[in-house]
Amino acid sequence: MRISTVTMFESSLSSMNRQQSAFLDVGQQLATGRRVVNPSDDPQAASRAVSVSQSMAVSQQYADARVTARNALSQEESVLNSVSDAISSAKTLIVQAGNGTLSDADRSAIGSELRGIYESLLGQANTTNGNGDYLFGGVKDNASPFVKQGGRIVYQGADSVRAQQVDSSRQMPVGDSGLDVFSGVHAGSDYVAEATTAADSTLTFTGPSVRDAAADGFGASYTLTFTDATTFSITDGLGTALLTDTYTAGEPIEFNGMSITLEGEPKQDDAIEMTKGQDQSVFATLESALAALESPADTSAKQADLSNTLSSVSRQLDNSLDNVLTVRASVGARLNELDVLDTVGGNRSLNYESTLSELVDLDYASAISDYTLRQVGLQASQKTFVDMRGMSLFEML
Amino acid sequence: MSLFSTGLSGLSAAQVALQTTSTNISNVYTPGYNRQITQLGETSPSGGGVQVNDIERQFNQYIASQLNESSSRSSALQAYDTQVSQLDNLLADGEAGLAPLMQSFFSSLEDLSGAPSDPAARQGLIGSADTLTAQFRAFDSYLDDMQSGINGQVRDEVTQINNTTEQLAKLNRQISLTQAKTGEVPNNLLNQRDNLVAGLSERIDVKLSIQDGGTYNLTMANGQPLVAGNNSYSLEAVPSSSDPTRTVVAYNDPGGSTIELAESTFEGGTLGGLMTFRSETLDKTQNQVGQMALALAEGFNEQHRAGQDLNGAQGQDFFAIGSPSVFSNERNASGASFSAEFSAFSAVTTSDYQIKYESGDFVVSRAGSKTPLDPQPTAGTDAGSNTTLSFDGMTLTLDESSGAIAEGDTFLIQPTRNLAGQLENVIDDTSKIAASAHVQVTPSLKAGSTLAASSVTIEDGFTLPTTSIQMDISISAADAANDAFTLSPNAPAGSQVLVNGEVPADPSSVKLSAGDTLSIDGISMTFSGKPVDGDTLTLSSDPASGDNRNALALQSLQQGGLVEGKASLSEAYASLVSDVGNRTNVVQANLSAQSVLTEQLTAVQQSESGVNLDEEAANLIRFQQFYQANAKVIQTGSTLLDTILGIR
Repeated sequence: MRISTVTMFESSLSSMNRQQSAFLDVGQQLATGRRVVNPSDDPQAASRAVSVSQSMAVSQQYADARVTARNALSQEESVLNSVSDAISSAKTLIVQAGNGTLSDADRSAIGSELRGIYESLLGQANTTNGNGDYLFGGVKDNASPFVKQGGRIVYQGADSVRAQQVDSSRQMPVGDSGLDVFSGVHAGSDYVAEATTAADSTLTFTGPSVRDAAADGFGASYTLTFTDATTFSITDGLGTALLTDTYTAGEPIEFNGMSITLEGEPKQDDAIEMTKGQDQSVFATLESALAALESPADTSAKQADLSNTLSSVSRQLDNSLDNVLTVRASVGARLNELDVLDTVGGNRSLNYESTLSELVDLDYASAISDYTLRQVGLQASQKTFVDMRGMSLFEML
Repeated sequence: MSLFSTGLSGLSAAQVALQTTSTNISNVYTPGYNRQITQLGETSPSGGGVQVNDIERQFNQYIASQLNESSSRSSALQAYDTQVSQLDNLLADGEAGLAPLMQSFFSSLEDLSGAPSDPAARQGLIGSADTLTAQFRAFDSYLDDMQSGINGQVRDEVTQINNTTEQLAKLNRQISLTQAKTGEVPNNLLNQRDNLVAGLSERIDVKLSIQDGGTYNLTMANGQPLVAGNNSYSLEAVPSSSDPTRTVVAYNDPGGSTIELAESTFEGGTLGGLMTFRSETLDKTQNQVGQMALALAEGFNEQHRAGQDLNGAQGQDFFAIGSPSVFSNERNASGASFSAEFSAFSAVTTSDYQIKYESGDFVVSRAGSKTPLDPQPTAGTDAGSNTTLSFDGMTLTLDESSGAIAEGDTFLIQPTRNLAGQLENVIDDTSKIAASAHVQVTPSLKAGSTLAASSVTIEDGFTLPTTSIQMDISISAADAANDAFTLSPNAPAGSQVLVNGEVPADPSSVKLSAGDTLSIDGISMTFSGKPVDGDTLTLSSDPASGDNRNALALQSLQQGGLVEGKASLSEAYASLVSDVGNRTNVVQANLSAQSVLTEQLTAVQQSESGVNLDEEAANLIRFQQFYQANAKVIQTGSTLLDTILGIR
């Protein structure tokens, strides 16, 4: 074919251009480390990369949420630790106060020690985190959840707590409401007996203790009432009489899988209420203990009252301590779960990263060999151009 | 014939041949130049001498036509590629594009749900919302700039086309005049004319037909003439009658009227490339980005309005977004117009629509398609007895205050075209972020009642009660026998009442017993204990600063199917990336194939018409010798004459 001079120049010029642009493409890939620089380089990979990086971002969000959750739960755990210590010390003091040889002054001293514990518990119940939010206020975390009203401490927080999305299908509560921690009792708590006696009654109780937890009617509330100084009857929560019997001091009364032992001289209308699993504020418990310890026990009737109150309080503190320990265990379980989710989430993020890298990142080995190849191609086309320039008949004339 | 005249004819032929060769040499790099060959012939009738029959222009009309057609396609693809590469580059930025900003927006929601009352977290959300909306607006304004850039380029192209067609008409005239006057073919004018046709083909696809006398007639793809003999007909860049923001091409026909040409008229040439890019890619991309902005704004607003802000008030709109654009065609006979609003954002598509009023009916079709929507939306009336049309998530209201609608009126609707540019974050007060959704149930019990409503929780898709809902409890004899009770939820009209997840027989009076779960508009509670006739429970919203229910719900929108009710925002963005990437990829592949074809055709054309300097160098030597030889003939003749004269 006849070739025109212009064609000769242009075709070698355009082949040089092509080589150059391919060379630059590989150069850009090497410089950025990415195989897919523009979406048009591989539309499918580019659009999948958008999805994968979204998944990565979401996974990172969950990881961030886990950090927040872990901080909150760890702080709660350490507060709960102190709370359980405080309740244990209170329990020790109550046992100490039950010693019959103590004088009023001794008991008052124990009382003031107990008041210290009471105040420190209040402080712990109103702990704030770094943001000034109350740890045990539930979702109402901007005001003290436990406040003194008329000498008593009442809960003003919310009973629901905040949850965080710690994994795609897991919203984890990142706290426990003050109600659950300080006023709750767990399902396996013991029966609590509370006596209401006449001013001159010396009736005291021991127990109640469990004989057979599988018995019919075990777990319900009962009231033992003296119809006169020698006869008592037991009624259930609806007022139905269960049994009526004659009172013998020191002899255990057994019914519906439980037993209670009474001593002293009862008066008519003396009553002992026995409940199980009823919510009880640890503050109210301590308040009744304080009231008992701070008033003199100079008569045998008053000593009986004191003994009854201390028995109730002791049982209630046991229940509260068990409850705090249960909450603490659940916090620990959540912290463990966070560790597991961290491992799983970390693996998942790693997978996403490697997928993303496979989609858009450069295979350096092949890119570098490509680069060398393109370089050779470009140099060859440049050489051809230069050589062709000298090839003219006019040069020979 | 004498040696002298024979030699002389040779000399002058050699001169012409040398002249032709030097013309070829000097024009070796002239665009549009076709090489010439001196055609020699014997003198007749007596013979012996040589004469120049013709200086022949080496030009093949068929190859030229093929080349023009191919370069028309090449330049269309070239124009398309230049434009679409801009979009491709815009989406290439992995760090600052829309996707990472959406991710950081949702990640700041995560921060908010971790510390819902923390001012820093709240400010962080507002900050990232500002950044995100600004990026949406910037994206849209970039696309707007491309639209107006194309408008400008269309105007430029039209001016250039008009210049060229005018020159072509003049050349037609000059060529026929010259031919008539001198009887010779004016090769340089022919070259000019063919070069102009080649140049015109790069701007617009034209068909060339050659009249008997060699006059060029050019028509557009739709058959309308641009050049006919000595006349040219001009194109005009005008604002579209259906969308005044768009520059389209109109044709000034021989009858003197101006006809607006459809964009699909143009396929080849730069003009065709621009038009195709605009209608095929740019509009769609802008609609897609607008649709994403709409889904983000409306989806987020809907959830945000469901929550409570830090002051305990119900959430307000978080984002501001515009409404669909409606244009009345300026050729409409009446002054009637439509106003449009979104009624269901998740049904809004990326299509544009056209409405035509035909024999008493509104016919709605997708823009660029002749087939009407199936099913056709039926016209209704609103409270003010204005005609309304509802379709694809929009409600259009006809305004006939400045003239009743007339037969043949058309309207163009662009639902999402300009939305991304109008996306704005309207919350700047940190306390106005509605992160919480908290309710309480307050019992008011008769003596002896142990009724309790516990585990009050808020589920997905909840609606908080705007006013307290008082639920009354009654116990009939039959209820008492079944250990059940009857509860009248007294829920507001339209509420969804569920018992244990199922719709009860009578939602206004439901039978319940202990352990059952009642749910009103996504707020559920479980009952325990024994009620007494006359108990009431009051469900009311109870703002709590530490609650993050709504923040969690907002956070989950990240993966929710907001766009057209099926794709998440990130999936919509991924499909945008894949659309533009594919389009660019296809155009680049076509362009490189077409370029190779054009290059090959150029080589073929050049092999016929191009100058080869080696060849011309050889010719130069040849014709020089030719000249010298003829001069020798004359010298010989002179010697002969001298010989004769020398005989004494």
